[in-house]
Formats: sequence, C-alpha cells, structure tokens
Amino acid sequence: MDTVIEATGLTKHFEDFSLRGVGLTVRGGSISGIFGPNAAGKSTLLRMLAGQTPVPAGTLRVLGESYGSAEQDLKNRVGYVPQEPVFYENRTVEWHARFVAPYFARWDGACFFRLLEDFRVNPLKKVRLLSGGQKKLLSLALAFSHGADLLILDEPTAGLDVVHRRSLLDRLRVQVAGGETTVVVASHITDGLDEIAEDVTFLHDGRVVLQGGADDLMTRWKWVLYKEGSLGGAIEERFASVRHQPFGCRGLTNDFPAVRDAIAPALASGEARVDHASLEDILLSFIKGA
Amino acid sequence: MNPILRRSSFFYVTSAVTYLGIMGRYMLTRDWTAFEIIPLFVPIWLVSALLASEDGERYAFLRMLPVPDRDVASAKFALVLASVAFQWVVMTGAAVGRMSEGIAGPPTLVYLTMVCAFGLLAAAGFQIGIWRYGVSRMKPIMIGAIIAGIAFAIIHLASLRNVYDWPVFSRAGLVEWLGGAPWISSAVLIALALLAYRALMRVGVRVKAESEAHL
Repeated sequence: MDTVIEATGLTKHFEDFSLRGVGLTVRGGSISGIFGPNAAGKSTLLRMLAGQTPVPAGTLRVLGESYGSAEQDLKNRVGYVPQEPVFYENRTVEWHARFVAPYFARWDGACFFRLLEDFRVNPLKKVRLLSGGQKKLLSLALAFSHGADLLILDEPTAGLDVVHRRSLLDRLRVQVAGGETTVVVASHITDGLDEIAEDVTFLHDGRVVLQGGADDLMTRWKWVLYKEGSLGGAIEERFASVRHQPFGCRGLTNDFPAVRDAIAPALASGEARVDHASLEDILLSFIKGA
Repeated sequence: MNPILRRSSFFYVTSAVTYLGIMGRYMLTRDWTAFEIIPLFVPIWLVSALLASEDGERYAFLRMLPVPDRDVASAKFALVLASVAFQWVVMTGAAVGRMSEGIAGPPTLVYLTMVCAFGLLAAAGFQIGIWRYGVSRMKPIMIGAIIAGIAFAIIHLASLRNVYDWPVFSRAGLVEWLGGAPWISSAVLIALALLAYRALMRVGVRVKAESEAHL
C-alpha cells in the first residue's frame, strides 16, 4: 500500500511550546490516530500535515508532493477539519458552499447538502446561530464534499452528541473501506476514535513517545492483575506502571509475550489474571512516567 | 469574479460610492479649496474600507481552500489599486473639467496624483501590518490613523480660511514645479507608486505566507 504521508523531523517552536523532531508515516487507505493530552502538539502537527502552517524544519511529503511546490493540487486532495472551525459568522451555511465551490476541482454540492441533511444542519441558517457541534459538522461536510483523498481531522468528534459521533465513526470506516481515502485523526482518545484507528502515534510534550499498529499495541500492552507478592519483584520491575489497590495490584506491561511465561504459574493458580489495556491506559503510563 | 474578490470588493465599492456621493460632488460645485481638502479623504476612506473588509475576513477559512497565499494577497492588493485608480480618474476628470474656470490648475493634477499615491502605499502598509500582526492589533492603529487624518483635514480647511499664509499643499513649491508638465509628472509619479506598490505586494505575499497572526 502506498505511503500517503511521510514526515521526518518536523519541528516548530512557539513561545511556550515546541514540536520537536516528529516523524510520521501514514499508509494509504488507513485510519491513523494521533493521540495525546492537551498541548501535546497534535493540532500543530495536523496543521502542518494539512498545509495550514509552514514547516520551519523537517521534511514533509503528502500524497507524494510537498506544499511548497504543489499547494493548490494538494489542498484539492486534502480535506481538513480544524479543532475550532472558522467561518464567516454572518453568512449562511449555504453561502459557504457557494463560496468554496469554484475553488475545489471535485466539489460535489449534492453530497454537501445530503450531509447537511444527515447532520441536521439547516443550510439557510447563519453560522453565528449554529452550536459548536453544528459548526464542527459543517466543517466535516465541507471536508467530505470535495473528493479528498486524505482527510485530516482535528478532534472531529469534539462537541458532537452520541448519535452524530457514532454516525461519523461509521462514515469514516466506510470511507476507508473503499481504499481510496486515508484518514488522520487527532484526539484525546476518550471519544471513540481509538476504536477505529489502525495505526497509532502518541504525542506528549511535543515529542512522539510511541508509534505502532493498534493491534500490535493491544497484543503487547496488557494489564496483569495479581495478588500482592504473588509475582515477585523481578517481574514487577518489568511493568511500565504498577498500581497498588486495596484488593491487589495492577501492572501494565508493554511486552506481554515476554512476560507471559514468567507469570504463567500465577495465572494457573488463579493469583493473577490478564486484562485488556486501552490506548488511554497506555498513553497515561507515558504521561505519568514522563 | 472569484468569491474572495467579490466579498472584499463590497467594502471598497461602498466606500468609493459613499465618498464620491458625500464629498466628491463638491469638486464640481465649490471653490479651489475643494481640490485641496477632498483628496485628503482618499487615504482616509481607503483605510476605512480596508479595515471594514479585513475585520470580517476569515483567513483561516481561506487557507483551507486550494488557493495559494499569493493569489489571495494579489486579489486584496488589486482591489486597493482599483479603488484608488477609480478615485484618481474621477477626481482628475473633475479637475480637468474645472481648469477653464481657474478653480483647478496643472499643479492640482500633480497634487491629486501624489495624494492617491500616498493613499495607495499607506493602504498597502496597513494590509501588510494586518497580515503580520493580525487585525485585532492593527485595528486601534488604523482607527487612530483615520481619526488623525480627519482631524488634519478639518484643521487644514479651517486654517486655510482663517490663517493668513497657511501653506497650501496643491500650490507648494515642488507641486508647482512638477505642475509645469502635469501629465508627464503624474505619469512618473504613478510609475514610481506602482513600482513601490509592487514591491510591497511581494513583501505582503511573503509576510502572509509566513505569519499566522492574521489566521
């Protein structure tokens, strides 16, 4: 499968924050999740990937091209939803469609208005009268309606109710299943996007702290729940984090296949058991350990 | 017309029409002071139109469209230029029309060109400032410039009427000298202004692409 995004050493400094040497590879036809806490650098990274902000240091190729030489072509092929969408507040939703239509080579007005109907956004309403969630939906409708090969979505489910959130996740799955669209989403994890991401990048304090396939991470990262003292100190030292709780301990391992044999006796005797670790658990272990 | 031009042109057309409707007509009916004072309002109206247009602009939205920064910057600069050119043509036409009455003279043509050139370059400077520092930071400066311009024009008008020997810009030494060959002088001034404007536009494109304060 072709590589859609290839970034190395992306760096950008602000007064109080720096994105430092971020590298990222995104496969075509996949959903990639960029996760991290607030001020981790997710939005800055996505803005770079979407050609919204200059790349002062590092290299970036999107869909085989760079924004410096092919900005117009790339922006035709990239749909971007910012964390906080900006519109002409005193204009209607419909006006925005008329405004953007001449610029996008593959603009599909029928698709846009169908999406608005699905999202229950009134096209005749002025943008300033829309709720935060509706503005997000409008931004998504614009991004979905110009035949983008790559969708870059910053916190796309923020502000959406559960129905629209679920509908968006399903739509993303369907779109990627066709193999023609690639999706990159940034999120705080807790909004369901971790369920659909195939590749995962964890950012913390402007750096990549973990990258890999979601399935691979799920295989390697596990919670081991055990009675205090039942595993021995040598095994506990191999856990990324350990939580001591009233009725036992929870150890998070980042290399379960290697630990499995060592804890086999405790598993057999019922003094330990293994539990699935969520992406949020994994990220938290990095944040707390940092 | 592309949508970016169409949206922004509303403010410039409104400004020019209002300006000519309210003040420009005095050039056809009043004495020579109309040609001294009314052109001073060209930069004022121009900066007002620029501020009104930019205050409602959403560059973060425009940046998502497949339109290079260069095209957006060019469209904005073209609007300012068209607005100034239109006002220059109308005022120059009025001045030429009243030369036979002695209300305007050859130096008046040079004076009009100088004021329009100043307005053009001032507007370009403010536009670059908006891209570099954002409209919220430039707004007080622009409003201050507009108020200062209006105050200056009023004081100048009052002083022309009440103060003996108050300087008359349209009859200043340099303007009189250039007025010896008004069309050649105007052509040279226009060429110089356009060259400077083009240089500022290039700076503007670079500033707009590099800065994020206006987004």
